[in-house]
Amino acid sequence: MASYARPVERLITELSKLPSIGPKSAQRIAFHVVRGKPDDARALAEALREVKERIHPCKRCFNLTEAEECDICTDPRRDPSVICAVEDPYDIGPIERTGEYRGLYHVLGGALSPLDGVEPEDLRIAELVERVGREETKEIVVATNPNTTGEATALFIAQELQDRPVRVTALASGLPVGGDLEYADEVTLGRAFAGRREI
Amino acid sequence: MSAYLRALRLVNFRNYVDATVLLAPGLNVVVGANAQGKTNLLEAISFAATGSTPRTPNDPEIILWGADFTRAEMRVSMNGDEERKIAVGYAPGQKKRLTIDGVPASSLAAYAAGGAGVRVVTFFPDDLRVVKGAPSDRREFLDSLLASLKPTYARAAAEYARAVQQRNQLLRRIRDGLSSEKTLSTWDRKVVDLGTEVLRGRTAAIGPLGSLFEDAVSALYGPEKAALGYGYSAPLDGYAEALREARGVDVERGTTSVGPHRDDFAVLFGGVSMTTYGSQGQQRLATLALKFAAREYLRGETGQDPILLFDDVMSELDEERRGYLTEYFLASTQAVISTTNLEYFDPEVIERTPIVRISGGSVL
Repeated sequence: MASYARPVERLITELSKLPSIGPKSAQRIAFHVVRGKPDDARALAEALREVKERIHPCKRCFNLTEAEECDICTDPRRDPSVICAVEDPYDIGPIERTGEYRGLYHVLGGALSPLDGVEPEDLRIAELVERVGREETKEIVVATNPNTTGEATALFIAQELQDRPVRVTALASGLPVGGDLEYADEVTLGRAFAGRREI
Repeated sequence: MSAYLRALRLVNFRNYVDATVLLAPGLNVVVGANAQGKTNLLEAISFAATGSTPRTPNDPEIILWGADFTRAEMRVSMNGDEERKIAVGYAPGQKKRLTIDGVPASSLAAYAAGGAGVRVVTFFPDDLRVVKGAPSDRREFLDSLLASLKPTYARAAAEYARAVQQRNQLLRRIRDGLSSEKTLSTWDRKVVDLGTEVLRGRTAAIGPLGSLFEDAVSALYGPEKAALGYGYSAPLDGYAEALREARGVDVERGTTSVGPHRDDFAVLFGGVSMTTYGSQGQQRLATLALKFAAREYLRGETGQDPILLFDDVMSELDEERRGYLTEYFLASTQAVISTTNLEYFDPEVIERTPIVRISGGSVL
């Protein structure tokens, strides 16, 4: 593929390192940048540089922030006695949009997976346990992904906290609201059945 | 009333470029010389009905040599006059396109578990391995039967396999000093939770399946006390303890030694294992009886008669059993049976049976 000028090749190579961008998409984006206005390219470069220079994990919850602690940790209206543990910073957005949750967060940085060599030490589980002792937390809501690795991570966290005076809960899994039963996929519906409750 | 197939169209499937076959309820006979595409035709029906093929785990194999995709469509008669069109399209590297009356199916698992409205029971000569082969062949038979009934079973089995893989990797890491034992009990619990779901499914099925098997054997083989005996590597009610006890050995070997992925079931005639001691003929009859039991089990569970797709089943049977099978197929909702030789059937039956003639990947 070494048929383009060197800087173009370099841009294509860098772009194709990004997730879900294959060689063809990388080429398309690179030529879009080449054809585009210089200001747009500069703004993109500046945004990339800024995000790496100014964004770092929150000291307390490991969410992404510009300051020492993130906006959620420093918000006095939030309930500090509840912590919701999530795998990644981008899991916080959907939970925030529900408007249901007023507690704090803890970003684990992934899920346990021996196949990928991910051990408890690679996640911020020790930091979570330490936080529970320091902050007098009453409840941990484990909101890891509903798959094998996410569920194993939730079990491990519950196990690590079993001797502490803290309640450990997990999100219920069930049906999407506003849809028809007819269109629910069988696995989700099956789980919703297993977790049915009295009314 | 159960569903049956009215028409099948194949594009780029194995040795078929583009072929259409019309089918009738009851017995249909597919006839042709060897290597003309009889087996491929039955496989294609199974592919269209379930979204996957029982003959190979390697999907690209089913595409016509030189083509880049394949498609199988069927018109299915549902409960009398209602008709439905189901189709499966496949190109390597892409998700399968499964549609029911043009609407995409929610998932492959749901489509395979009767979502398309038809279930099939297949018999290919290679299925002899269910009786003759390794424990994994028998587990696969049981798992695919249960998955064709419940997508939740298919999910539990797939998730269980993933959890065991994770645990095995952890065991090896512990052995090699790369991991501590700290998370092992977490993975044990995950493995036990999912494995219990699998074991419950199998345990509930094996009893009824065993008595249906016994009935099928006495009809096919004579009054022989036949049975299926499930062998648990860990008992359902002591599974967690068994896994914990195996820990030392498991770490040493780097693999999980107990659980449903290590279980087997014995196929017994008069208490004797057909896997170890059966003659070729007995093994063949036992395989057939298992397929008959699977059909009756599906019928009992769903109230619908599955479609029978039996490949070259007559050639190695004696006349009396061929007669029995012919009656069995005639009494089914639909059976598509391939043969090299129409003389295996009673001429009177052949006279009133739709015959599909196959030659060189074409329907004549």
